[in-house]
Amino acid sequence: MDIYLYVARDSVLHRLDPRTKFLVLLAVIFLAVAGDQPWLPLVLQLLALGGIQLAGAWRSLARVRVILIAVFVVSLLVWTVFSGGETPLWGPLTLESLLFGVATGLKLTATITASVLWLSTTRNEEIAAGMTAMGMPHRLAFTFSAALRMVPTFIGAGTTIVQAQRARGLDVDGGGPIRRLRTFLPLLVPIFTSALRAANQQAMALEARGFGVARRRTRYLPLRMGAWDWLLLALALVGIGMGLWIAATGALRIPGLIR
Amino acid sequence: MDPGPSSSPALAVRDLRFRYRARENQALDGVSFEVEKGQMIVLLGPSGAGKSTLCLALNGLIPHFSRGTMEGEVTVFGTSTRHRSVAELANQVGLVFQDFEAQLFATNVALEVAFGLENFGVDRPTMEARVAATLALVGLSGLEHREPASLSGGQKQRLAIAAVLALHPRILVMDEPTTDLDPAGSIDVLRVARQLRDEGRTLVVAEHEIEALTGVDRVLVLNRGRIEAVGSPDQILTRAGWLERRGIQPPGAAHLLELLGEPPVLDVERATTQLRSRGYHVPDDTWSALTTDPDPILRAGPPLLRLSGVGHRYPGGVEALAEVELELHAGEFVGIVGANGSGKTTLIKHLNGLLEPTSGQVYLEDRPTRGMGVRELGLTVGYVFQSPDHQLFAESVREEVAFALRNHGLDGIEDRVDEALKADGIEDRVDEALKAVGLAERDDEDPFTMTKGERQRVAVASVLATRPRIIVLDEPTTGLDYGEQRRMMELVARLNREGRTILCVTHSMWVVAEYARRTVVLAEGRIVADGPTRQVFGDETLLERARLRAPQVVEMTRALGRPLLSVAEAARCLVREE
Repeated sequence: MDIYLYVARDSVLHRLDPRTKFLVLLAVIFLAVAGDQPWLPLVLQLLALGGIQLAGAWRSLARVRVILIAVFVVSLLVWTVFSGGETPLWGPLTLESLLFGVATGLKLTATITASVLWLSTTRNEEIAAGMTAMGMPHRLAFTFSAALRMVPTFIGAGTTIVQAQRARGLDVDGGGPIRRLRTFLPLLVPIFTSALRAANQQAMALEARGFGVARRRTRYLPLRMGAWDWLLLALALVGIGMGLWIAATGALRIPGLIR
Repeated sequence: MDPGPSSSPALAVRDLRFRYRARENQALDGVSFEVEKGQMIVLLGPSGAGKSTLCLALNGLIPHFSRGTMEGEVTVFGTSTRHRSVAELANQVGLVFQDFEAQLFATNVALEVAFGLENFGVDRPTMEARVAATLALVGLSGLEHREPASLSGGQKQRLAIAAVLALHPRILVMDEPTTDLDPAGSIDVLRVARQLRDEGRTLVVAEHEIEALTGVDRVLVLNRGRIEAVGSPDQILTRAGWLERRGIQPPGAAHLLELLGEPPVLDVERATTQLRSRGYHVPDDTWSALTTDPDPILRAGPPLLRLSGVGHRYPGGVEALAEVELELHAGEFVGIVGANGSGKTTLIKHLNGLLEPTSGQVYLEDRPTRGMGVRELGLTVGYVFQSPDHQLFAESVREEVAFALRNHGLDGIEDRVDEALKADGIEDRVDEALKAVGLAERDDEDPFTMTKGERQRVAVASVLATRPRIIVLDEPTTGLDYGEQRRMMELVARLNREGRTILCVTHSMWVVAEYARRTVVLAEGRIVADGPTRQVFGDETLLERARLRAPQVVEMTRALGRPLLSVAEAARCLVREE
């Protein structure tokens, strides 16, 4: 089973330095959550979609489409209903609350889209290399990327275990809470033991390949800051600054919105 | 300190003893041997003999990683492993593990090979050259940008070897590198081993597939943590009966010759020539008895299970099965073989409803199974998964075996359960199942403290308890030693004789040849052959096309004109011309 979002292509976005991409992602998140008006998250959402087009990563986005739609619809409904305003539209609905609902939905979808774009264009190893280069200890960065690497292994083992117990008549879907707890035990015990065994094996395999032996590790994938990197890095820093400014000054509030 | 490689052997193990923490017995109990530079030695021995422990001791994971008490010493080119960390030893001794899934970390093939080099701080140009050279050595050039998960089993294991070899270790240790591989994948991996040895590298290989091994200089037999015999392949591997008594599968050619009272040789061609020159043949009447369809009466009635035009396409578009037509009659014993990724497991998951066909239909006694669900189908079709560790969870054997019965007793489908289930209680059925697998006396033991062979039997018992008419087994012998494999298959054969229908998927060709009366061959999701086992195994071109290889005894007797399926059968049926 393939859970990686990474799309093996050679686009401009793939070639960017992982550090640049990380800061751009941060800038998008800062800007998205800074204000209440929907237009800024909308611009970010459109930019992120443009990035998806550039990277050829529509397939990755399609894989999270259910989450995207659900998140948007739920936040739209919740915030439209639970906030109020001055300009009535229909029944209890006001223009301000509707705008705020749309904005909240877009904040979340823009953030998710940008994250998908990041994972679609940045390899596991590049994420780790980028984090190391930004000062994170290599062991920590590697642990992070190794954890990502283990996810499909665990999902695979988990699927097999669920199938094995269903084949023995375990009903994994039905029943009340106590019954449910009982059905989890036959799943949890084998999942836990197989995870432990896999982790132990991996640790041994790492040691056997000289993990942590040299003081200075080298990189097979070079980190190179090109012209685009510096430009985007500058834009990202400006973006983060603007986001902080918007949040601090309360610019981009929706006038008349009652939370 | 270091007297230099010229005066010391590549590896020297002196009176090595190791006991794992919280265990009573010694995993290694006084092992001593030396390996000269450029030699290839093979470790043989049953489960629990200490092969894996010894492998871990050779690269320093014992004593540095695994907890326990070590005595004695291992020296690598004159330096003791006690004074070096595992990581420091990594460019001296490379270790390839049995489980290839657990030793791959990277998102593409080139990065996987580069990982160790990065750890040693090798500069980029050198790294690129080494990655390319190492991939060429193991035959994976051109796959640099593939994701490891998308490779076949044999390719994954060769990638794991490359990842270790890139560090240019002078000694390479492999712990059962072919356990999970199909015959062609095993041959590819062992060919790489042979090639490395011919280049002057020192190799230590723990293996059970000795028929496929070539170029071995010395064989070391371990048993209960001690060395029982050391010698050349001609000295050790020709002692067929002796090996078999120790739970090691002897090579077929030598075994057959020994049983016939002829001087044993290892080479299949020489053995065949020897048989031919001595006038061995299968008499006509014996042959016609062997080739009479064993199951004509079984197939006379309507099929118990029928697959009609079954295809399966996984989400994401991969077509794993196509146009499968298969009929299974009550009482049959069918083996399903095929290379890694040929669709074997996908096929059998359709039989108990774990998967539903994306095209076509599965019928159980003419009733379409679509929508019946795993729980209901599970009462008729019992399914034993590959690894018992994916299902065992209970604290006692009895509880584990009763699990399926309790599941089925707890909800509203009792009315569909056969009368017998209502008639006897759960306890009776558990006793019956445990008796069938030979664990009747051990019902209150903890499954987790049992050996893998015993755990596999518990898994079989837990399936037997619901008295399924069909038993599907996915690789029931993987990870078991020869003795355990035999016991497992004898158990399955007995269940078949007692009336249960058996369908067994396996990579182990001798298991199918010897036990299955009918063999189905899958290649790329399609059935390419389906017939009496003797007929299928008699067709060399067919097997080769499906990336399979018959056991030595089949190859030899096929060359004599009449294929026999097991060493025992050949010893019984071959007679000398007067």
